[in-house]
Amino acid sequence: MTLTTEQTDTELLRQVHAGQAEAFTALYRRHQGPLYRYALLRCGSGDAAADIVQEAFMGLLTGRLGYDPLRGQLQHFLFGVARNLALKLDEARQRHPQLPAPLDDDDDAPDLDAAGDSAGPLARLLGNEAAEEVRRALSLLPPHYRDPVILYELHDLSYQEIATVCQVDIGTVRSRLARGRAALAKRLHALQASSHDAHLA
Amino acid sequence: MNDNDDIKDDPVDPALATRFAALRSELATHDAPRCVEKELLQAFARQFPIRQPWYRKLSLSQWGTAGALASLCGVALLLALAPHQAVTVGPPVLNVDDGTAFIALESLERIESEPYTRVVEAELPQTALAPLGMPLNPQTAGGTVRAEMLVAQDGHPLAVRLSAVN
Repeated sequence: MTLTTEQTDTELLRQVHAGQAEAFTALYRRHQGPLYRYALLRCGSGDAAADIVQEAFMGLLTGRLGYDPLRGQLQHFLFGVARNLALKLDEARQRHPQLPAPLDDDDDAPDLDAAGDSAGPLARLLGNEAAEEVRRALSLLPPHYRDPVILYELHDLSYQEIATVCQVDIGTVRSRLARGRAALAKRLHALQASSHDAHLA
Repeated sequence: MNDNDDIKDDPVDPALATRFAALRSELATHDAPRCVEKELLQAFARQFPIRQPWYRKLSLSQWGTAGALASLCGVALLLALAPHQAVTVGPPVLNVDDGTAFIALESLERIESEPYTRVVEAELPQTALAPLGMPLNPQTAGGTVRAEMLVAQDGHPLAVRLSAVN
């Protein structure tokens, strides 16, 4: 981001708190896309993703979140906020489960996360078949594997940045990323094999 | 951005990388619904209400009342500043001596500017004094009155006062 043609997030935030609506609009339009896409993959629901985006920006607007520019970029800060909101959503869904949690023998931790309500992860969200296949496979990963995979593979965050967002150390990020990829590859391979068998049959 | 060290330590399966690329490309077209921005801007407007200048806060009726009051004040001010002049019902009067006041027949400035004046006795028809405000009795309208005339040096009458009615 250049300072000559665009205002920095810090400058825009200062203008927002001074009551300039145009600055808030610019800030929102700059960051809503990546935030929404992360929340969409994280929650498996467009409505839930929209709620997370709205709540994150409301917190920014009211000053409730307390963003400190010295501690990192605003986009990464918003990812962290969205992740926490998604975790709360996961807890709420676990209190009122609607789908039995599928067990994965190769994962150390059982897959406790249903990744959404009965319509969430199973409902088609993307038009592209291959993309939708990956999204569904992602939605079945445990959240602590899903987050690093989404942030690394789809948002190009570094290990350090992911560690800050997920509030873990870099080593944990590396191991979870590796396990998440492996689990994802296994699920996609299984899906490909079953669809191939179905085709042959 | 993924650091070079990150990529070197944990290379991704090429097949998986292709799938991720497809997902990234598909997701690029997905943004938050427009209603989210609209609701956030409404919240912003509530958080930072626009302060209107004082003249925009008044209603039409309030502007009318203010205008009427301003007009009244303006009229009162004009009246207060206007030079006060004595309202005379009839012609101006002047005192020449300690006797009855004379009724001026010319302007006071004209009379005061006259260098030499004298008082002469005269008999005037009552009808001549009617324009000066003297009430006329129809039964005695044809009579005369004794008057004293204040005249200029050239004999021009300047003022008059009644002595007696005949």
